[in-house]
Amino acid sequence: MAYLTTFYWGWLLASVLLGFAMGWISVVQHGEGVTGKLRWALSVLVAALIGAALARVVPGRFGYWLDLGLILFALYLFGCVVGSCLRHWVVARSTPPA
Amino acid sequence: MRGLFRWSGKWWLGVIPLVIFWAIAAWTSTEPLEADLAQRSTAALKDTILDKRRITVAGRDVTLAADAFAEDGRQGAVAAVEAVPGVRLVNDETRLVPEAKPFVWSAERDVLRVTLSGSSPLPAIRARLMEAARTNLGGVEVVDRMGLSRGAPPRFDTAALLLLDQIGKLKDGKITLSDSQVSLSGMARELGGREAIAAALKNLPEGFSVAANEVKAPPYIFQAYKDPVAMTLTLTGNAPDNNVHAALVAAAGRKFFSEKVVDNLKESIGAPAGFANAAVSALGALSRLSTGTLVVSDREVKLSGDALYEGAAGQIRAGLGKDFPQGWQFKPEISIKPAAAPVDATVCQQLFAELLGKARIRFESGKSDIVADSAGLLDRLIETALRCPTANIEIAGHTDSDGDDAANQALSERRAQAVADYLVKAGLPADRFSAAGYGATQPIAGNDTDQGKAQNRRIDFVVK
Repeated sequence: MAYLTTFYWGWLLASVLLGFAMGWISVVQHGEGVTGKLRWALSVLVAALIGAALARVVPGRFGYWLDLGLILFALYLFGCVVGSCLRHWVVARSTPPA
Repeated sequence: MRGLFRWSGKWWLGVIPLVIFWAIAAWTSTEPLEADLAQRSTAALKDTILDKRRITVAGRDVTLAADAFAEDGRQGAVAAVEAVPGVRLVNDETRLVPEAKPFVWSAERDVLRVTLSGSSPLPAIRARLMEAARTNLGGVEVVDRMGLSRGAPPRFDTAALLLLDQIGKLKDGKITLSDSQVSLSGMARELGGREAIAAALKNLPEGFSVAANEVKAPPYIFQAYKDPVAMTLTLTGNAPDNNVHAALVAAAGRKFFSEKVVDNLKESIGAPAGFANAAVSALGALSRLSTGTLVVSDREVKLSGDALYEGAAGQIRAGLGKDFPQGWQFKPEISIKPAAAPVDATVCQQLFAELLGKARIRFESGKSDIVADSAGLLDRLIETALRCPTANIEIAGHTDSDGDDAANQALSERRAQAVADYLVKAGLPADRFSAAGYGATQPIAGNDTDQGKAQNRRIDFVVK
């Protein structure tokens, strides 16, 4: 992991920034998000992929691409969480209490 | 927290560019990553001795295929690659090199090249052997047919390097090391090479032994050619050492009284046992021929040429082989020189005087036994006597003035008689010869010097 971080920090940073941007937007965006069963299905899919990566059952290049994808996705989620929290905090400060 | 859950439903939109990022990252990074991991894995195995090492990288998975020379080396190699940062999995396709039993290594030399084959314990030793072979053999092609195997005896490399030194001393042949047993066969390059190899093998490392040494030496040649026209005796070939060399030249000088000795002998070890005695005897036989060639090749003596008369030919054919040490072979090819034209008594006397002016019939000191060196001279005297069959000849014995007169008189008579007996034995009629002794009464030189005394101790042939 440390090796990949040093090797591709540019892509990883890009994923964090992308996540940050999406998190920032998502707080104020109107519209339907993923809900219900689909959310659960996606969660299960991601968990299965993480399980496969940890168990190292996917061989060769596909295994590497899976690892890379999951790392990018994890950093994207981290960026989303940070972006959403920050935006929420900014919005809460600028809106006078009702 | 509830807010975070609600917002997260809208994060999926960003997944689309994320997937694009992912695809680009995967597209651009895979090959450089694989190359980097391959290079790091290779570096990690820098100090590990492996054969046929092959590293292939797919993604972050490294496949290591190699032949290792020991189990701990094999496990160490896999662990070293596993420890390389970034490597996810190591597919272990390593194996131990096969064990050779018996562990056989050989070096074979033919006209064109030296071939090293069999097993070598490590790549470094294999390279060292090849390097040593190239250095030792300067210019000869060296072919590497060695494989790598486990199971070499301790100090294999020292033994193999010593044996490679020996292959340089062979013209052709093979040296095989089977476990700790050394076998050698072939032909030594030079005289003495066989002995040099045998001596070097004594330095084999402890535990190694010579099972068979069948290295042959090139034939040990000694040749003598008597040229009646140039009046020379040419000695060529080998003599074992300085002493034998000098003895052969001295013997040739004594036996060939009218020829100049041309000494082209080289000194070289490797002579068969009894060489010196056999060569001196054979030179004696050659001295009795009018023209001839002597070839001593190892333990075989070939003598060809013309004897001066029939009796001499018979004596040489029958007698020489008996003088040789056991195991020697004598191959005479003796013909008889055509008889020279008869001459009258005066010419005969001149011919006797000429011959006896060049050399004297020699006897054992104080005795009447004719020494073998005088056989050539006696043959020529007999040949001359045969040319004047009607002449009667007095064989006159003389001594120097040392000792008392009666003893000198008796000695001169016995010596003259010994010569007469020799001639009769050779087939000349006894009634043509009379033996007379004159003691010291007829000196031809002063008896006050050793040289003068030597001239006075003589046998004269006087035609009556």
